[in-house]
Amino acid sequence: MAKEIVLEINNLTKYFPVVKGFIRRSVVAEVKAVDGVSLAIHKGETVGLVGESGCGKTTLGKCALQLIRPTSGEVIFHGQDLTELDDKALRPLRKHFQIIFQDPYDSLNPRFTATDIVGEPLRIHNLLSGKAYDERVAELLDIVGLAPYMADRYPHEFSGGQRQRLGVARALALQPEFILCDEPLSALDVSIQAQILNLLDDLQQKYGVAYLFISHDLSVVRHISDRVVVMYLGKIMEISNRDELYSAPMHPYTKALLSAVPIPDPAVEAKRAVQVLKGEVPSPLNPPSGCVFHPRCPQAFKDCSEILPVLGDTGNGHHVACLLYKESYP
Amino acid sequence: MKPILEVCNLSTNFHTQDGIVKAVDNVSYNIGRGETVALVGESGCGKTVSALSVLRLVAEPVGKITQGSVFFDGVDLLKLPENEMRKYRGSRISMIFQEPLTSLNPVVTIGSQIAEGLETHKQMSHHEAINEAINLLKLVGIPHPESRVNDYPHQFSGGMRQRVMIAIAIACKPELIIADEPTTAVDVTIQAQLLELIRGISKELNTSLILITHNLGIVARYAHRVFVMYAGRIVESGTSLEVYHHPDHPYTAGLLASVPRLDEPRKLRLEPIKDQPPDLISLPPGCAFEPRCGYAIDQCRKEKPDLIEISRNHFSACWVAQKGHKPWQKKSS
Ligand SMILES: Nc1ncnc2c1ncn2[C@@H]1O[C@H](COP(=O)(O)OP(=O)(O)O)[C@@H](O)[C@H]1O
Ligand SMILES: Nc1ncnc2c1ncn2[C@@H]1O[C@H](COP(=O)(O)OP(=O)(O)O)[C@@H](O)[C@H]1O
Ligand SMILES: [Mg+2]
Ligand SMILES: [Mg+2]
Repeated sequence: MAKEIVLEINNLTKYFPVVKGFIRRSVVAEVKAVDGVSLAIHKGETVGLVGESGCGKTTLGKCALQLIRPTSGEVIFHGQDLTELDDKALRPLRKHFQIIFQDPYDSLNPRFTATDIVGEPLRIHNLLSGKAYDERVAELLDIVGLAPYMADRYPHEFSGGQRQRLGVARALALQPEFILCDEPLSALDVSIQAQILNLLDDLQQKYGVAYLFISHDLSVVRHISDRVVVMYLGKIMEISNRDELYSAPMHPYTKALLSAVPIPDPAVEAKRAVQVLKGEVPSPLNPPSGCVFHPRCPQAFKDCSEILPVLGDTGNGHHVACLLYKESYP
Repeated sequence: MKPILEVCNLSTNFHTQDGIVKAVDNVSYNIGRGETVALVGESGCGKTVSALSVLRLVAEPVGKITQGSVFFDGVDLLKLPENEMRKYRGSRISMIFQEPLTSLNPVVTIGSQIAEGLETHKQMSHHEAINEAINLLKLVGIPHPESRVNDYPHQFSGGMRQRVMIAIAIACKPELIIADEPTTAVDVTIQAQLLELIRGISKELNTSLILITHNLGIVARYAHRVFVMYAGRIVESGTSLEVYHHPDHPYTAGLLASVPRLDEPRKLRLEPIKDQPPDLISLPPGCAFEPRCGYAIDQCRKEKPDLIEISRNHFSACWVAQKGHKPWQKKSS
């Protein structure tokens, strides 16, 4: 793993203030959406990010891109801490990191044609014009598998899968080093999901772009990721290379997530005992003491409600924050 | 096992500005007492409309059931006058929808919403019905049911609202529950909670369950038999085990090859079905899957194949399979 780091997140937190009062507004509490996360993403790598909704995945991703400014912590890109730069200083750097959203429809201007949409980043950054611009846009549409005759169509004239291809083409326009993919497949049918997954894979091979891939589908994450981060209530519970995370998960939360995924084979399912995780994700306004997962954990013991586990290194790049492992004691 | 529900040659169309949408096209399926079957297929293939047609809830006059019969416990529901039909809905047959927030009334307490069916169909007083609602909320796993019965839908989380929907659906102890993508909007953990709950209840009440889903894993975990839909038609049916292990339609095989599996070695590349499903307004004259199919022969472009039993209890609407060739099975196994 001597690979070059593209983006390094250090001890990042994002607390959303909860404001009360209309005239005299005062902060009465804080939603700890992301609470002390560190993560390095390497060149050409895909890091999968999983966890139930409300765990802070989107917030972490947006803080990494400075689409939301974090409360504290660093985001290092090419030796620079992005959190210290103002919007103006950030602008020229933005072309290096892009985002692909869950619902491409919401993120595409309905009055723009496919050409306008894909070319928008080129225009914003004033990079190409005239013939070179037209050629680049045509090339981008081709790369994501959209036919030339679709160039003048509007978003509503595309299917969900095609709109996601447009989103991918737009993200690629500036040849970014890093793309945040926030649940990019959730709105798509399985046959289309597979098409987009293959496309993302091809583009990575070809251009060496790194992905932070947020998804609630653990099978998809296994397919696309090199490493996987499991988040719960704003914190990393486990992080590991893909194969080890899936073959030897350590955290009870990871195990519960994996057990919940039904496998598309009736013979396999007939033999499998479904372990149902009880309860729901608690409010991040008032997180549980000790390990934030302990109230739902099937293996919780006395220490878990009292001691906050640290993300301990168990070897081979596999880190876990769970008191079942001695490495997690502070 | 005599079926509780037998749908025969059902067709439902929608008349839109752009033309006639053949949402459900000559569909037949059945379900036994206490059985769980799944309707599976990608979005827009007619799963919801085929369920709504059973309950005669298709929005008229845009939508219209144009042919077929729906026998429930020996009675053809399509022939009943509306006031008779009402005695079935929510009583002997109930439905759980995908998005509870749009199917629950925002200004009525959830207690009253559960009680409504009990008052109408079981002649309970409001007081009795509310007490029963509390029992039901407890049964579906809502903490503090005595106080929550007075709450409104927005005061519940997504998962809890879906539990309320389940409570409403089972209130009158129906013989058939149709669950339309009941867990599409929730996390896998909550999905497992809800589906285990539905499975437990239907087992206890010996209720038949039609599970509508696009999730192949859910079908494998819960359904005895499966009906695979494509472009308004059933293209394959059989026991889940048979259909998954020996798909007799290239569409089914294509779906199975599209999803990565946690229990198998990781594939370097997925094998998606190419292109996208057809527009139901202008379907090709032959098999609707032909333009995306890698195994089509000339006949596929000309004639629509019927759903035919090609091995015991295993049906396929594919000309190639009906001739005894299944080249996709070699590939998928
Ligand atoms: N702009 C915001 N203001 C206040 N709270 C927010 C805001 N954005 C997100 N949150 C809260 O932060 C937590 C994490 O949200 P999010 O990052 O969207 O989670 P995920 O993407 O994992 O579903 C949630 O409790 C959410 O309600
Ligand atoms: N009220 C309606 N008006 C017009 N078309 C409709 C209406 N409801 C459904 N359809 C069409 O019928 C087809 C089948 O829809 P549906 O049964 O909802 O699919 P599924 O549940 O499999 O996703 C789709 O093409 C859909 O656009
Ligand atoms: Mg999110
Ligand atoms: Mg539907």
